[in-house]
Amino acid sequence: MNTTPLPISFLKRMLAVCLLLALLLMISAFLGLSIGSAGQNMKQVLAVLFGHGERDPTTANILWRIRLPRVFLAALVGSTLSLGGLVFQALLRNSLAEPYILGISGGSAVGAITGILLGLSRFPGVASLAFAGSMLTLFPVLAVGSGRAAMRKDALVLAGVMVNAFCSSAIMFLLSLTQDSRLHNILFWLMGDLSLSDPNQVLVLALTLFPCFALLFLLARPMNLLLMGEDTAANLGVNVRLISIVLLVVTSFMVSATVCHSGLLGFVGLVMPHLLRLSFGPDHRLLVPACILGGGAYLVLCDLLSRSLPAQGEMPVGVITAMIGAPLFIFLLQRSKP
Amino acid sequence: MIRLSVLVLGLMVAASCEAGPVEGSSGRKVLAPADPCRVVSLAPSITEMVFALGKGDRLKGCTQHCDFPAEAGPLPRVGSYRHPDMERIAALKPDLCIATRDGNPPDVLERLEALGIPVYVVNPRDLDAVVATITEIGRLLNAGPRGEELAGDLRTRIERVKSRVACAKRRPKVFFQIGVVPIVSVGTNTFIHELITTAGGKNLAEGPTPYPRFSREQVLALQPEVIIITSMTRGQAFEQVRDEWNRWDSLPAVQNQRIFIVESNLLDRPTPRLIEGLELLARLIHPELFQ
Amino acid sequence: MKPALVVQDLDHSYGQRHILDRVSFSVDQGEFFIVLGPNGSGKTTLIKAASGAVRAQKGLVEILGHPLRTYSGRALARTIAVVPQSAPPDIPFTVAEVVLMGRSPHLGLLGLERRRDRDIARQAMSFTHVEHLAERKLDELSAGERQRALLARAVCQQPRIIVLDEPTASLDPAHQVHIMDLMEGLRREEGITVVMVSHDLNLAALYADRLLLLKEGRVVSLGTPAEVLVFETLERAYGCVLLVDENPLKKVPRVTVVPENLLTGHTKSSRAMGKGPGGSP
Repeated sequence: MNTTPLPISFLKRMLAVCLLLALLLMISAFLGLSIGSAGQNMKQVLAVLFGHGERDPTTANILWRIRLPRVFLAALVGSTLSLGGLVFQALLRNSLAEPYILGISGGSAVGAITGILLGLSRFPGVASLAFAGSMLTLFPVLAVGSGRAAMRKDALVLAGVMVNAFCSSAIMFLLSLTQDSRLHNILFWLMGDLSLSDPNQVLVLALTLFPCFALLFLLARPMNLLLMGEDTAANLGVNVRLISIVLLVVTSFMVSATVCHSGLLGFVGLVMPHLLRLSFGPDHRLLVPACILGGGAYLVLCDLLSRSLPAQGEMPVGVITAMIGAPLFIFLLQRSKP
Repeated sequence: MIRLSVLVLGLMVAASCEAGPVEGSSGRKVLAPADPCRVVSLAPSITEMVFALGKGDRLKGCTQHCDFPAEAGPLPRVGSYRHPDMERIAALKPDLCIATRDGNPPDVLERLEALGIPVYVVNPRDLDAVVATITEIGRLLNAGPRGEELAGDLRTRIERVKSRVACAKRRPKVFFQIGVVPIVSVGTNTFIHELITTAGGKNLAEGPTPYPRFSREQVLALQPEVIIITSMTRGQAFEQVRDEWNRWDSLPAVQNQRIFIVESNLLDRPTPRLIEGLELLARLIHPELFQ
Repeated sequence: MKPALVVQDLDHSYGQRHILDRVSFSVDQGEFFIVLGPNGSGKTTLIKAASGAVRAQKGLVEILGHPLRTYSGRALARTIAVVPQSAPPDIPFTVAEVVLMGRSPHLGLLGLERRRDRDIARQAMSFTHVEHLAERKLDELSAGERQRALLARAVCQQPRIIVLDEPTASLDPAHQVHIMDLMEGLRREEGITVVMVSHDLNLAALYADRLLLLKEGRVVSLGTPAEVLVFETLERAYGCVLLVDENPLKKVPRVTVVPENLLTGHTKSSRAMGKGPGGSP
């Protein structure tokens, strides 16, 4: 057969990319565990990690009970937001789509701010209200966007924009009622805040998210086909309506669950899919694990910067992701021009 | 004889190292040492009180904004009181953290307790509570006598102001301005209101809203006799603000040239200096009673 | 042998517009079947209904002897492949990736291709002469190359029936013939049934076994090219003057359009009868 060979087995490529990104994630996690406001002591961290060095329980305490939950949460949030952006970009066939586009940001913010104003604590009060708020926004969006045979893309996006706009006005109203002390809390939530990472909560979040990740990986091939157009996808055997609804609901659920813990972190879900697509190609079977691993690593690093850059205290992570993400996105746009 | 003293000394030392249960942040009992040696303060007011009780040497860390007394300067910082840095606190290996219910986020306090650090929460809501808190912290830090002494002194000063003010014929109308653009004053549920009232004045902004906003018209309609501006209004020179008011010569405060500036830290921190603030306000509101 | 496709009394409306009006026909296996008709005659809706993309409101569609609705999505995709007129813009995939998508209905849960799938894709690409374009992005190809890539994808599905929607619409003559020859090759070598919608009457005449002529959702004529491409039938359907003679290459009709300034005697008489160019009787 003297035909041009197809590229090396896709499976091998996928494994190579996953290995690379997993390594990146582990390095980021290690850096995240080593560096913090209590000092940089990588050797000590290595010592504690490998068992010998239990003489200083304080370091172990800081490592396992403060930094580890935080790094874990950062990884989970980064994975989810990147994956959310990827799915919505495929589902809506819109490269500007990001996880909040269908109203999740508006709904969860209204819920969270209400919770903060009522004086509830982060868990479970504020988090539950945030989750409820974001899931509620699914209803008007689904109602508007559901067509006879398939999702109407433009209708979905417009519905999401309207929901977000409405929620923005509700948020402004709530803010105008707020006194100083709560304002700080609200602003930190709106900008994205990983500092309250309780180990139990993070574990519950992980257990909730992993099945979603697995499901989305299984739906990676249909996502490829959806990009070719709904008619083509249907002709190739995809149940377009069912898959679209499942993608929409699972992703919204996943992003909502994450946002309750971390607030509204921006630019991760928009930039990471593009960055990974530019690096590794458009096949979602590769991009889904890439987003999970690469997105996680990205946010762990951003969180690390947010903790170590300022001389005192910490910056909201959302500021870092925006400062890095926005120029990065513009750079990517330039690169992608033919 | 020597053996007896050694025994007694030994027992005393043992007693001081023994931990005793105190009430923690969530109402649960927390084990705090009887004589804490490594204390971390999670609010500027607490730092002030610890130093006032003479136990500044036990303090190993405090928040960013702890600026009084000067001895607190070199202390390691553990974040802000809205956003305490758990890592830094843990790294200081404290045997006791003192926090406030109003200001420190309860989630953080719970996390600290989960890490095995005892957290004691105070709640000085008004003047009397501030004095009581001093006694409380004094007992906590094994400085009971000093705490009682300080508390007693403060109570005396408060009584002195109250008794003199009781002789006043009337209560002047006071407008206390903490915000310039927009104009913000203080409602009933604040320290400043209590101080104004105790100092014999009438807070024109009293009401349920803690920090109500006013338009200039509303203030003019209220006809304040005394305007007090706090130095918390950063960015606006005091002279500029006073000149703004001086344009309205219908105001009694302008006619009698009773527009004053005071240092905000004396009036909104629940510390012994609050009483200084009280005395200051009393002099400004009733100059005829306090020379 | 069971017919590849049976359509019976197919009826469909979009709101007020009646698109298909009791259309019935059947296509034998291995047949080259072309649907003709003016714009708006319902050709596209017809093949969408026949391939399962649209569910017609009334009527019956049978594929290889079984009703359409008894096929699962994947089973249908393994039986009928559709070559669209064009691909949507901004497709980021390479030709190889697009062609491999044709294997989807045959893949397992994880959607990972095996060696066999890659071989089939390679063969399909070589059959439609796009193997040298395997690494190029679909957007970068010319219209003809793109069409052949989409055809390769359809071939990958290993269907019994291939449906094409105006495949030659934007192609130059060389590419037009090439595509039609490829379809003829598939039909001859694999026995695949070809159902095509076309505007090109002459290509239809040269390649089709049978033609279906639609107008306003109704069947005007069904039969061999010689039976369907008759002057009066065409004029009724298209409402314009068309010259019909015999193609010198093969004993099939050849259709020529008539510009107004070339209307000669016999066409002028048709005009006198009230049928002018572009007008209706």
